[in-house]
Amino acid sequence: MVSNFLSGHDVGIVAYGETRVERRSGRTPYEFAAETFEEILTKTGLTPADIDGFATNVPHSESVNQYYTPYVCDYLGVTPRWMDISDHGGGSALAAVSRAALAIQAGMCELALVLCADAPSSSWRAGNGGYRPEFWDPTGIQGPPGAFGLLMNRYAAQYDLKLEALGKLAVAQREGAVLNDNAYEKFRSPITVQDYLDSRMISSPVRLLDCVMFADGAAGVLLTSREKAQKMDAMNIVYPTAYSEIVNFNGAEAQPDITETGFSVVGPEVLEKAEMTPEDVRMFHPYDDFLIAEMIQLEETGWCGRGEGSDFLIETDVSYRGSLPINTGGGQISAGQIGLASGMTNLVEAVRQMRGEAGDRQVSDPANAMVTGIGVIAYGRSWKVSNAMILEH
Amino acid sequence: MSEKKKRPVPVPTVTTGPFWDGIKAGKLLLQYDREVDAWQFYPRPGSLKTGKRNLEWREAAGTGAVYSFTETYVPTAGFEDRTPYLLAMIDLDEGVRILGNLFDVTAADVFIGMPVKIAFEKISEDAEYFCFEPA
Repeated sequence: MVSNFLSGHDVGIVAYGETRVERRSGRTPYEFAAETFEEILTKTGLTPADIDGFATNVPHSESVNQYYTPYVCDYLGVTPRWMDISDHGGGSALAAVSRAALAIQAGMCELALVLCADAPSSSWRAGNGGYRPEFWDPTGIQGPPGAFGLLMNRYAAQYDLKLEALGKLAVAQREGAVLNDNAYEKFRSPITVQDYLDSRMISSPVRLLDCVMFADGAAGVLLTSREKAQKMDAMNIVYPTAYSEIVNFNGAEAQPDITETGFSVVGPEVLEKAEMTPEDVRMFHPYDDFLIAEMIQLEETGWCGRGEGSDFLIETDVSYRGSLPINTGGGQISAGQIGLASGMTNLVEAVRQMRGEAGDRQVSDPANAMVTGIGVIAYGRSWKVSNAMILEH
Repeated sequence: MSEKKKRPVPVPTVTTGPFWDGIKAGKLLLQYDREVDAWQFYPRPGSLKTGKRNLEWREAAGTGAVYSFTETYVPTAGFEDRTPYLLAMIDLDEGVRILGNLFDVTAADVFIGMPVKIAFEKISEDAEYFCFEPA
């Protein structure tokens, strides 16, 4: 049996907040953070002085500031006794929530706010060092779409990739975005599989509708101990009950299979920790920077075998009405990627669904959810961070 | 009017200096770990297998095969005039993977497994960059 620090259901999510996703808003991550903060305070009746734990992500729009987290606390009037920042890229939100749960268990804080914000479409102040200026950028690779073009092309050579399966996933997520008031406004009209197939090539075989688009926004969750949650009279507590992460998967291999990712480890493992099988998962909120990444997660977690993701997606209703709803709010691909706060979008949607607050796109019997994160493109491999969390009542 | 952004030119570091010296001389130098008989790329300060800082630089054959490729339609700075252009991950015969532009072949003719060899491209007054072409 794998050890699981969340098995006791002793830390719960008692509130969430989320801004609308905007493009070129002209606003700062501090602005978006404050908007989400106000929503969470209003929902819970708390004041800034009540928050004694705070964690966030490194934002593209403010990564020149080496003191970002204390600055956010200063902007919000929060005085934490425990503070953390995560640089797991798109895995940052889940990583921060897992650390917040540990901090609460360890007694370092009681009310931990994990608040992720970014505004890269208004202010891009990010830089990547390491090997990138010498071995990545001068090649003309078109960033993440280029890296995923290489990955997807190799996947198509090794397995049976059916583009209509990816198109069907894109259509299902778009349906969720149409019903999601917080989704980026221009994405709130339906698309067809043909629209997906006809969308222009960015870096072959990756098309425009395979990709996320950078946008601005914030989302967050408030965690506390079960005892405190019950005292707060918080109904509908959502408990993170299992978490796994792996960083730099295959990192010492010189020629690994680029289609193999850290989800081959953390997918099955997080389910084992929660004593669940894929069939037990009511809804799946996978990190969706590219459609192909979702297909690989389905395979590696165990819903189907390697290379069987196309048939699985064609045979399965993944809309909010279906047997395995996927990214019911549109995911990032159809709601917009709020920079490196991105991992919080699908987590907040899972919490919203589990509380029965998803309105017209509500999943019936939202007993549990699996949420994942993906972070950081790797050189010659897939991606560097894979993490996964199970939520239960 | 501001000047058009140019293709980035690599600035060698203490770790990568020998690699770029090699490129300037028309050679592909890679790090080799004699203890475990393993090559590695990109250059790092120590062995990925043992953590020891006992790597040596050796000349590689410069030949390999296309592991995967992509045709880019949205150019990055300095690539506007050649769009669309081919990029490939090459699995070199020594057992490492390297990313580079693919020249002298069209997207219709390139295939995974295609044999390639290294070539060189002048990208500034005094900088060369590596690329690949059919072998």
